[in-house]
Formats: sequence, C-alpha cells, structure tokens
Amino acid sequence: MILEAKDLNYYYQDGEQRRYILKDTSISFEKGKFYTILGQSGSGKTTLLSLLSALDSPHSGEVLFNGDDIKKIGYEKYRRNNVGIIFQSYNLVPTFTAVENVLVPMSITENEIPEDTKTVAYNLLDYIGIVKNKADRLVNRLSGGEQQRVAIARALATNVELILADEPTGNLDEEMEQEIIEIFKKLAHEHGKCVIVVTHSNEIALQSDQAFRLRKGVLTSYE
Amino acid sequence: MNFIKRGFLGITRKKGKSLILLAVIFILGNLISGAISIQQATGNVESTVKERLGTAATIDIDYDEWDAMSDSEMESLEMEEISVDLIKEIGELSYVKYYDYNMTFWLGSESIERYQDEDLDDEMEEDMMFGPSMDFTLKGINYAPVIDFEEQKGKLVDGRVFTQEEVDGGSSVAVISKKLAEENNLNVGDTFTLANDVYTYDYNTGEGDLVTSRDVVLEVIGLFEPQEAKKETEENSESDMMVLMEDTEYYNTMYVPNEVVIDETKYNWEESLKADEELAEMMEEEEESFEYYSPIYYLNNQEDIEAFTEEVKPLLPELYTVISASDQYDNIAGPIESMSKLAKYVLIVAVIATVLITGLVVLLFLRDRKRELGIYLSLGEKRSRVVGQILIEVMVVAVVGITLSLFSGNLLAQQVSDTLMRADDNNEEYFEEYYYEGISTDLTADDVMDSYEVTLNSSYVLGFYGVGLVTILISTIIPLIYIVRLNPKKILM
Repeated sequence: MILEAKDLNYYYQDGEQRRYILKDTSISFEKGKFYTILGQSGSGKTTLLSLLSALDSPHSGEVLFNGDDIKKIGYEKYRRNNVGIIFQSYNLVPTFTAVENVLVPMSITENEIPEDTKTVAYNLLDYIGIVKNKADRLVNRLSGGEQQRVAIARALATNVELILADEPTGNLDEEMEQEIIEIFKKLAHEHGKCVIVVTHSNEIALQSDQAFRLRKGVLTSYE
Repeated sequence: MNFIKRGFLGITRKKGKSLILLAVIFILGNLISGAISIQQATGNVESTVKERLGTAATIDIDYDEWDAMSDSEMESLEMEEISVDLIKEIGELSYVKYYDYNMTFWLGSESIERYQDEDLDDEMEEDMMFGPSMDFTLKGINYAPVIDFEEQKGKLVDGRVFTQEEVDGGSSVAVISKKLAEENNLNVGDTFTLANDVYTYDYNTGEGDLVTSRDVVLEVIGLFEPQEAKKETEENSESDMMVLMEDTEYYNTMYVPNEVVIDETKYNWEESLKADEELAEMMEEEEESFEYYSPIYYLNNQEDIEAFTEEVKPLLPELYTVISASDQYDNIAGPIESMSKLAKYVLIVAVIATVLITGLVVLLFLRDRKRELGIYLSLGEKRSRVVGQILIEVMVVAVVGITLSLFSGNLLAQQVSDTLMRADDNNEEYFEEYYYEGISTDLTADDVMDSYEVTLNSSYVLGFYGVGLVTILISTIIPLIYIVRLNPKKILM
C-alpha cells in the first residue's frame, strides 16, 4: 500500500453549523495502478486530492504514505520528495520556458537526480511528447495539451512514485484527453507509478484500473 | 533552477516591472539620500565646530534665569558665592583634565615699561591707558604648570613654570611675556618692581588722589610667547584692532602665584576702605568681599560636557549654572541647526513614504505573481526560499536604484543646502553674549557655514545603503508575509 487515507473529515464552519465536504472518508492505493475518483462539482473530490497531496490538511483523520503519517513526514517535505501533482489549469510559471518549468522541482527535491538535470528535463519532455524546440519556448506560447504535457513532465521530474492529478483533461479536447490518459496508463503499468486522477468524466473512469465515486463526501466503489 | 537563479530570471523576464520598481526606488532614494547627506554634513559641522570650541567650562550666574526673575524675586534672593571648596570638589570629578581658579589684579610700575604694539595708533593706545597703576595684569595661578600653556594659549620659551611650593607659599615669582622682557631688558633670574597704588576717588569730579603705595618685587622665572597667530583680516578693520588690543593685553599679563594676587588685592582693598569711610560703610552693609574666583575646568573630552554639566548642576548654589564652550554652538550654528532639523523630518517622511509606496508597488506585483508563488509552495519549496527569491528580485533592483540615487541625492543635497543656507544667512540673528575668558570664541556663523560640506564619504555611503536597504526590505517582507502565509490550495485551487 503506497497511500492510505483513514477517517478523513473536512468541513467548513457555517456559523454554528459544520458543512462536511468529507466525512470519515477512508481509501487506499497501490503502486502500479491507475485510479480515478469520480464525482460531480462540489462532491469533495478536489478537497480529497488536496488532502492526499498535502496541499491542505484535514480537520481529523490521517493520510499515510508507505505507512508513515504525512503530517509527521512534514507536508512540505512530502510534496517535495514523494508526490507529483498535476492541475486542471496546468499551473506552470508563465515567464519560464517548458524546460525551465521542469527544472524547477528538480532544484527543490531532495531525491537523487542525475547531475545533468537539463538533459534529463529535455528527455522527459521528449518522452511526454514535447520536442526540443518546443521545450525552449515560454509555456504560454504552447497549446493547452502541450502545457498539460509539460505539467506531467514536471510531476515526473523528481522521480516520485505517486502522481496525483486534478481534472487533468478538463481543458482539453477529446483527442488530447485520450493521449493524456494513455500517458497515465503507461506511467502506472510500465513504470510502476501509482496514478490517482480526480475527474467528472465517466470515460476516464472506465479506463482506470479502479474507480471510486464521491458523492456528498461519501466514497463508494464505482463499478 | 534554484531560488537565486529564479530571482535573477524574475528581473530579466519582467523588464517593465523591474524598471517601474527601479524608478520608484530611485526617486524615493533621492529623498533619503539627500536627507542623509545633509544630516551627515550638519553632524560633521557640529563635531568640527565643537572640537574647535574646546572642552573648557566655568561656573557662573545663569543670566537667562536672572533676567527672567521678577522684582520681588530679586529682593528676596540671597546670592551665595562659589566657595573654594566647591570649586575643588568639582575639579576632582573624573571628567576634569585640569582646572584652575584665580583672581586677577592690575598694577603699574615706575621701573618697567608697558609693551606697546607698534601697529596700534596713538589714539587706540590712549584708549587703553587705564591709569598709571593698571598697566600690567597680574593673573593668579593655582595650577602650577599654568593652564594657558597647557591649552596652547601661550608657550613657555625660556625659564620654567611654577613649582607647587611656590604656588602654595605665594612666592614672589612671575612668568612674563618675552616681548615685555625684551622691552625692559629683563632676563630669567632678574627682578622687577611693580607699584600697588591706592587711590581715593571724588565721585563728583571723577578725579583720584594717591593715598598710599607699596612696592611689589617679583623675580622672573620664565618667559612666554602667545601661541595664537594674529588673524589676517582687512587692514585697520575694527576686528583687526580688537585682536591687536587683546594681544597687547596678553603681552602685558604676568602669571604669578594666586596668593600674591590675593595679598595685593587685600592690601589695596583694605587701604582703600581705610581712606574712604563712605565706601567702607557701604561695603560692610552689603557684606562685600574682595575675594571672588572664576574657576575654569578643562574636560577630558568634548563628549563629557553634557555629563559634567548634569553632575555639577545639583552641587551649585541657586541661580548658578555651568557655562561651556560648546554652549556657543547653538548661538552661532542657527542655519545649520535648522537645516539639520529639516533634513531629519525629510528623512522620516521619506522613509515612511518609501515603506508605503514600495510596499504597495511590491504588493501589486505580488498579486500578479501570487499563483507563481503558490506553484513553488505546491512543489514543496520552503517558504523561506520563496521569500528569498522575491527578496533577491527586489533587492537587486533596489541596490541599483539606491546606488544611482546615492550620487544624485548627494548632488541634490548640495544644491538644496546651498540655497537654504543662503536664505538663512540673510535672516541671521544676533545674540547677546557674555564674555568668559578661555571659553568665549571668535568663531562666527560664517566660520560654521564654511565648515559645512556635503561630501560622499564612507559613513554617508554606509548610512544610506543601511537605511535604504532596510527600508526596502521592510516594504517587501510585509506584503510577502501576506502571500506566503496562505496554504498552496488557497492560492492554486
């Protein structure tokens, strides 16, 4: 088990009322599998992802990475060394080129990275489908699909085992969506990564190894 | 792509914003730089002028307080004299390098001639004739090495100064000026005679009659020469004549043990009272004494004056105060002081304006980059390094802006202070001053302004970089804290 969430509770305080987004949510994930968490807007799927990726902290419950509480590892350190995050809106640094964006997490992580980071970054981008002349462009000169590929390369740059993606194809057309899904499958099945994608798309859910549905903060298995 | 490289890339990739920030820092930097330049220059003037004014201090009546007293207060006032014991007690304070207290008396002579400066015309010389018995000034000494020589007012050129035994015993010895000795063919070891003439005066006619007289025989033990060079002023100008007269007086001054002065004063006083009953009655009524001392203290350092004054004031009788050489600084340095005050206010306003304006500019820039900072945080970057990256971006621009304004602000300060001083010089005020020997100075407001100079020295450079960079640092950190305290989810999702 690479990642496990136990009894997660997350709520907003509305006067004296608590509005629960997640209530006693538990879930676990293994390496080498492609997971999807399906849910409508406001179902709490992005909140769950932000708790799994330590972008936010739960009011109660715990998230375990390889059996260790990520709170004890340290949220910052966990994000730095153990998880790659992909956002719907890419979240790339607009004034940097594609390759510079990939180089950023490589300078932040404490994981072992080959010395020639620039070559690694170019290779990674090439593997994801961004050729060198595009890798040297500022990211806002790239298409949405290309930007999301750069974001995936950035998530992989620190050689992590866990990839978390929040609606990664939300801004892409169907053809591009399928290309991105293929990349995720490849990462899980060929490279042994644990890929968790939060989506509202049944199409993507159907292609995953295991899918969960989140409705009003309650998680169920999706058949 | 560590945070330092990211910081430098941030400057070059966002040239427009960097230039706006540079312009803001440059303009505000000029204000800070100008104010610091003026403050440094006025500070230098204060220390230079106070250095020139010296470390002398004396005890005297506080004439400001005296003038402010009402008639009824005056009537009920019982003035106390400064006692020798108090003078000595003050003299023993740790701030005091050496001190003296003495009396001065004037005598004439039948056997030796007064030294007369050839540059003084007859008319001036006549004005200086105080009567046959006042040609020579006898200055009493309690401090055997003679303070005037220690303070370079005069220099011993032949013979010796007094021994403590001569001072204590009131020996009939004297140190006279070399010119006076040459005028009268006197050498060290020779003796000369002065006459202590006692006169009575008819107050109706203003004429005096010689009642009695006694000889005062003194042995020359040393010769001195004045040390202060004659000022080169316009020929025959009033101040030139004043200087000549002062010099002539000093050539005719004789240093003798204070006991000798007391003896001669006492003789003259007692004989005068014997000869003039009316005067004797008046003196008895008012309990007047012939013995009155004006002490002079020389302190170890100019900086000690304030502490010395504070420590001495509680020991003094009512209405007395400490008069120090540096008191005159306030009178003669009016234009400089007002400029120093103005510079202080400008500096405070400029620093506050810089913090606010730069802070707002940085905040506006950071709002645009909030998402970028969130990205670094989501990638696990330490908050300190995110802050460091932005600080590098702002501080590199700030160093360039501050360096440019270092020179332009200094130039600006020179122009502004020249204009201000000229304006202030036209409104120059004149102050009523009392004369204190060893303390009063001939330094004028013009001398003070001449020593005012806006320069580009190391203390100014360091001071400006210090104030400038700390100001920018504060104005950057405040908005940064607002951004990085948020968690990445709040910024990005």
